[in-house]
Amino acid sequence: MAEDTTSQHSRRDFLSRAAMATGLAGGYGAFGMIAGRYLYPARSAETAWLYVSDINRLSDGESLLYEAPDGEKITVTRSTTTAGRVEFVAMSSTCPHLGCQVQWEPQNSRYFCPCHNGVFNPEGVATEGPPADAKQSLKRYPAQVEDGLLFLEVRTERLVAGNQGKIIEAPTCGNGPGHDPCLSPIAARGKERPA
Amino acid sequence: MTATRWFTDRLPISGDQLRELTNEPVPNHLKRWWFALGGTPAYLFVIQIFTGILLAFYYRASAVTAYDSVAFITNEAAFGWYIRSVHKWAATLMIAAVILHQMRVFFTGAYRKPREINWVVGMFILMCVLMLGFTGYALVFEQLSYWGATVGANIADQVPVIGGFIKRMMLGGDDYNSLTLPRFFVVHAAILPTTLVLLLVVHIAIIRMQGVTDFKFKDETEEKSGTFHFFPEHFYTELIIGLTLMLILSALATISPAALGNPANPLQTPEVIKPEWFFYVVFRWLKLFSVTVAVLSTGFIVFAMIAWPFIDEQIRKRTRFKDASVWIGIGAVIVIVAMTVWEAVVKH
Ligand code: HEM
Ligand code: FES
Repeated sequence: MAEDTTSQHSRRDFLSRAAMATGLAGGYGAFGMIAGRYLYPARSAETAWLYVSDINRLSDGESLLYEAPDGEKITVTRSTTTAGRVEFVAMSSTCPHLGCQVQWEPQNSRYFCPCHNGVFNPEGVATEGPPADAKQSLKRYPAQVEDGLLFLEVRTERLVAGNQGKIIEAPTCGNGPGHDPCLSPIAARGKERPA
Repeated sequence: MTATRWFTDRLPISGDQLRELTNEPVPNHLKRWWFALGGTPAYLFVIQIFTGILLAFYYRASAVTAYDSVAFITNEAAFGWYIRSVHKWAATLMIAAVILHQMRVFFTGAYRKPREINWVVGMFILMCVLMLGFTGYALVFEQLSYWGATVGANIADQVPVIGGFIKRMMLGGDDYNSLTLPRFFVVHAAILPTTLVLLLVVHIAIIRMQGVTDFKFKDETEEKSGTFHFFPEHFYTELIIGLTLMLILSALATISPAALGNPANPLQTPEVIKPEWFFYVVFRWLKLFSVTVAVLSTGFIVFAMIAWPFIDEQIRKRTRFKDASVWIGIGAVIVIVAMTVWEAVVKH
């Protein structure tokens, strides 16, 4: 009998301790969760589909340089598939290694990333440095053609709040009201693009 | 007399008790300068708290205002350049001193039983100090602050499983955004210093419990070894060291005051980009390997450093290389110094 009471005792003891521990953990845990949730960012970077250009502004193999509202420089190149479909590749200037901005080096026909010496060919494929070791390429933005107009899905803000996105270099200049500003004409990408 | 009574009636502490509390016997070999390397970062940390609070009066933590507020401190606030330069130089010296202190502990084998736990605490102190350096540099919001933080967050992103979470937590979003800088400020000025204080309290409590490792040096005669008193002898020594440090810091601050580079520009990574000198090793490492290899190997090395007292114990127990740690230590120091120098002399 005596044994029974002790074991009952210790069981009750255990249960009450467990209940206490659960209660405390739950109570403090709830406050911890609130703090954690408060700190964890809810919003992802905002993106939008933005109009870039009339597709006829570029002929096959030509490219233009577009500045997204967040300031990112995007190289847009036109090509036509064997099936005759017009396609656009919109290449980011953010290094896939650790996020620095790559720079086009016209004299070497390559993109160079100053952070850890990443090198990319004109197609955006890494050829040297850590991004090449990891077989990375410059990221591509989703592009879509609708009614002969080219749209890109880009981020609308970074640190500097959105301007509207503009073409900063293109092979031919649109003219007249309603056309994109066109700063300096460039040849096909990878050949004689100015710095 | 009555005033003393008034106090002792309310706070029952006697002078004797106070003396006992503060009067730790200190072994004589602490008179050798390299054993003071633990006290030096502690002193520098106090300077950091002091100058840091002063800087916080004028610093404004947001992407729009940060750079201008640092420029204000540097160029307009009376003695602002001095406060800022001392904060920067003390950080540099503190990191150097912590590293030297750790080397002293390593090469004298002072991490061995029973002091393994304090070595682990020390490693967390080291990481805390390095993170203070990293977050502090980000606050200036010049070009390197921005790109350093971006690269740092993307490194965190590569950590298996929890990387993405850490990166988002660090930046307050998917990329550097308007929520980022205030975070760095809170981490730098509140979270890390508090953590460091707690770690130091534990570190020093353990030292007091165990006593500093007792060494006998060949040139020590019997009566030269033994102990001397923390108060007043060691305390005076520390005061003198402290004043000397302040003079050195003031000289450094005057000769080479903290500069201000170009403001952060998210659209353009500078042609030549370097972190602070104490991250040169990691930076070189990142250039040598793909990011996955670099991150995993770094994680492995840090883990091995934390666990070193236990690894070392096994080596000594199971092999005949009793001094392996010394040779491994020398090798590691050579590699670290070589990589640091390499990074320092080349442009890319
Ligand atoms: C802000 C940073 C630090 C401060 C203020 C500090 C402070 C101290 C002090 C005052 C001592 C007494 C002995 C001496 O002065 O050398 C000590 C001992 C010790 N420290 Fe640190 N320390 C720091 C960082 C580190 C680091 C990074 C490690 C290693 C990873 C470390 C590991 C140890 C160990 C194991 C001891 C005991 C050694 C012995 O008893 O001889 N400490 N520390
Ligand atoms: S960020 Fe481009 S190479 Fe590292």
